[in-house]
Amino acid sequence: MLKKKLSNCFKEHRCSLELSEWIISVARKISHSQKYKHIKHSVKDILDNPLNPWKKYFDITIIFIILSSVFILIYEVKHPLPVWMDFYDIYIVSLIFLIEYILRLWVYSDMARDLVDEYEKSHFLGRRFRLWSALSRGLKKKLEFMVTPATIIDLLAILPAYRPLRVLRIFVLFRFLKLLRYTRSINQFVEVLSNKKFELLTLLFLLIFIMMTGAIAIYVLEDTHNPNINNMFDALYWSLVTISTVGYGDISPVTEMGRVISMIIILFGIAMISFATSVIVSAFSEKLHKLKEERIIDDINKSEEFLIICGYGQMTKMFFRHSDASRYRYIILDKNPKRVEEAIKDGYDAIEDDASRYETLSRFNTENSKVTVLCMTHDDVENIYITLNAKHISPKIKVVVRAGDESIVNKYKRAGADHVLLPNETASTMMSVAITRPTMYKAIDAILTGKNKAILDEVLIHGYSNLIGKYIKDIEFRHFKLVLIGIQKNSDMEFIFNPSPDILIEHKDILLIMGDKRSIQYFKEVNCKDKC
Amino acid sequence: MIESGSRSVIIFGYGKFGRNITLSLKDDIENILLIESNRDNYNKALQDGFTNVKLIDVTDDNQLEKIQADKDASFVCVMDDDHLNVFIVLSLKSVYPDNRILAISDSIHATSKLKMAGADKVIDLYAISANRIHNILNKPIATRFLEGFADKSHDLAFRELHIPKGSFLHGKKLEEIDFYRYGVIFLGMIDTELGNSFIFVTSGVEHKLDSGDIIVCIGHESDLKRFEKLILEEREDYPI
Repeated sequence: MLKKKLSNCFKEHRCSLELSEWIISVARKISHSQKYKHIKHSVKDILDNPLNPWKKYFDITIIFIILSSVFILIYEVKHPLPVWMDFYDIYIVSLIFLIEYILRLWVYSDMARDLVDEYEKSHFLGRRFRLWSALSRGLKKKLEFMVTPATIIDLLAILPAYRPLRVLRIFVLFRFLKLLRYTRSINQFVEVLSNKKFELLTLLFLLIFIMMTGAIAIYVLEDTHNPNINNMFDALYWSLVTISTVGYGDISPVTEMGRVISMIIILFGIAMISFATSVIVSAFSEKLHKLKEERIIDDINKSEEFLIICGYGQMTKMFFRHSDASRYRYIILDKNPKRVEEAIKDGYDAIEDDASRYETLSRFNTENSKVTVLCMTHDDVENIYITLNAKHISPKIKVVVRAGDESIVNKYKRAGADHVLLPNETASTMMSVAITRPTMYKAIDAILTGKNKAILDEVLIHGYSNLIGKYIKDIEFRHFKLVLIGIQKNSDMEFIFNPSPDILIEHKDILLIMGDKRSIQYFKEVNCKDKC
Repeated sequence: MIESGSRSVIIFGYGKFGRNITLSLKDDIENILLIESNRDNYNKALQDGFTNVKLIDVTDDNQLEKIQADKDASFVCVMDDDHLNVFIVLSLKSVYPDNRILAISDSIHATSKLKMAGADKVIDLYAISANRIHNILNKPIATRFLEGFADKSHDLAFRELHIPKGSFLHGKKLEEIDFYRYGVIFLGMIDTELGNSFIFVTSGVEHKLDSGDIIVCIGHESDLKRFEKLILEEREDYPI
């Protein structure tokens, strides 16, 4: 409605002050509406954000529509088209594409906001507000979007719906090109090639130059002698077929001079093809590394829960040596290419990146996955920076950080770290215990390092557990070779250390037990009804 | 022979670990000797108020011999340089073959090297922290429970208790004792009849307690103290 009114207004070439006031008030209303913002944001998210869970289905739908449309084009060549198919192709497919095009145009920029901004600016500067210049500024942005190759393809893909012009049918092929937007591998291919734009363009110009030279030469030399070369187009066709080393042989030189020209441009052709191949191959080998990294990140972003481990040092290595390590989805980030190489050699997924940069961490799916960042670098300053960076991107990210010494723990807490590890302090304490109380040391060490004989584990009393309704005294922990350390009651979430034998075990309580890994496993299995 | 706490300790290195260890030991152990080869660290130790500090060339065996350590003294090797630590352990093992040697290692490779060189106990800097991360990720209650021990305001503690002669625990089987009544949890023990190794209660072997055994319990400080007093008694007269 807004746009219609505007166009009417411009036709009259007289934009009254009231009209511009009215437009501004509408624009203001729109840009202040939360609902509008919300809708626009979710549409944009589905169209553009690969992390949006609905985008997958949207993409699949569009790809199906594209393929069906192309299938109809091919089918049509030999068979008469059923009415419903024709209807589907003309109206439904085109309509969907048109809607998609309009939506993309809509979400690309915020016209209402632009208008309001422009109005406020002129108001502030005490300048007369010119509706036309403000509008043209907003439209310019839309136009910017419309001339991008992908958008042009989108537009051309709608055209075949116009039936009177049969030639437009061929634009169905542009629907095929629309796949570019929806398939990642083709996208990456184009991206890689666009990095070598300069080399490829140079090559193309060289090719055109040699092709033209060859064509002109053969045309001049053989036009009168060769019955197959009648015009310049024939000469160009021959030249390209020869230079590309395809050589159909439908047109071939008949004079000596013509053959000499052929020989020369064949040599050029071979040189050029090998040059082109090497440019493309090198483009890929340069980018292969990056592409692989992107794949790793995309993969991990799909998982519900994963770890981002910053720094591949002794601590990280130790972490991976633990028997539990294989259960995690993780990615290692390190600034140092040598350490990344080492991690990859050791068989871990690692990429070279600086976790303290916003761009690095924001690549991860922090909205929809449960992310834990482990800051394991040796440098406290860097760890703090990573902690702040992670918490800034999303407070939902859990941060476990390694601190150099105790004096800095407060800083980490203020930065938002959820857990602070103090390996140096812990080791010093353990050393004192080892000297003064060697017996106790063995017990503590086994428990704290999680040695198989003394693992602390939690047993969640789930719905199928046999333990529901039993009292603690009813369970023969001694028989299971386990020690009950405590219980967390679901009712008040309170942890009871060394619980009384008269405590009743209920659904969703958690038992904290200690024992050998095998005993714990057995205990969990036995206390399960058949269902689990 | 049961390992018991040393009364005399010789610490090599007053660097990033040495300082912390010395400070936490100074209340428990009367006889601490600090040895440094670095003059800055040596001065720092003097400044911190330790008088028993020696500045020697630790790579020289003759100088190590001059220390004249007692038979029951423990050596702690915590020089800042890993290579030097391995070297000192090796030298000490040849000069004082009977003494206990402890060391801190900050990498997997260093751990095995220190052990090969003859260290009796090597504390891995990262083993505990690495396990803690796994606990943080999977076992929130176990994490909170273990963090309770580090927290000063929390009064849960580990305690090792020596069973004296004439204690009421003497001659009793483990299953006969109801530790819950004393508010403590029994974790394990060193049984003098079976030698020097620590046996976890969860290993499931039946044991008889004798005087001279050492047991390890966890519990609240007050309960542990009461229990410690109680096992000195000949007969149990604990109110039920």
